[in-house]
Amino acid sequence: MALRAALLRHVRIPAQTLNPALTLTGGKWGPPSLRWMSSHDDHLTKSEVTERVLSVVKSFPKVDPSTVTSDVHFQKDLGLDSLDNVEIVMALEEEFKLEIPDKEADKIDSTNLAIEYIYNHPMAG
Amino acid sequence: MSFIQRAVKVPPNSVSLEEARHRVFDFFRAACRSIPTIMEIYNLDDVVAPSHLRSVVASEIRKNSSVTNPKVIDMLLFKAMEELNNITEHAKQRHHIIGQYVVGHQGLVQDLGTKDQGASGFLKDFYKSNYF
Repeated sequence: MALRAALLRHVRIPAQTLNPALTLTGGKWGPPSLRWMSSHDDHLTKSEVTERVLSVVKSFPKVDPSTVTSDVHFQKDLGLDSLDNVEIVMALEEEFKLEIPDKEADKIDSTNLAIEYIYNHPMAG
Repeated sequence: MSFIQRAVKVPPNSVSLEEARHRVFDFFRAACRSIPTIMEIYNLDDVVAPSHLRSVVASEIRKNSSVTNPKVIDMLLFKAMEELNNITEHAKQRHHIIGQYVVGHQGLVQDLGTKDQGASGFLKDFYKSNYF
């Protein structure tokens, strides 16, 4: 024990401050943006959102695919009821990997609104 | 034990038909959101698509669409919630889910053969009504 203490007293290493060039934010070679591999910036285009929303609505079993356009009301134009409406919104959630809060989900009752909401949602993928 | 305690918690009654209606939609959303988990724990990926399970849940709800008494709707919702809890707690086995929700009530026994035509109605119901 005494030997260990004596030894440690002699092999002490002086503390250094870390070289600032090696830290994460201010690296010499790093690109200016810190999150250059983040996927948050590649947003869906409006035409892609429209196409995918319409394909979800068309694949709904009670809907005649030829009647679906980008401005169609689920209950008035397609003859669906409120439960079908919720079902379509859930299908859209699954397609775009979202979780739409209940209050907003209640308001989505046409393809137009669905496209708007999903296009403006930051996490739609 | 924990899931029994969770299952017996009864929410207060719905005040109006409108509130009961909203609860039905909330339940439907909860059921839809648990479909991916259910498909995973019961290995359903090769037998059914999520959209089919969603339609089945919707048709189960639509069976009771004529009910207008909020108390009865609450009772049905309680039973539905209990069923959903049991399913997500893995209290069932794969063939329960497939028999009840994937192939449907008369999926496996269809009276197409000639020998089935003469079977009594009682026997057909007996085969059919394993699940109520």
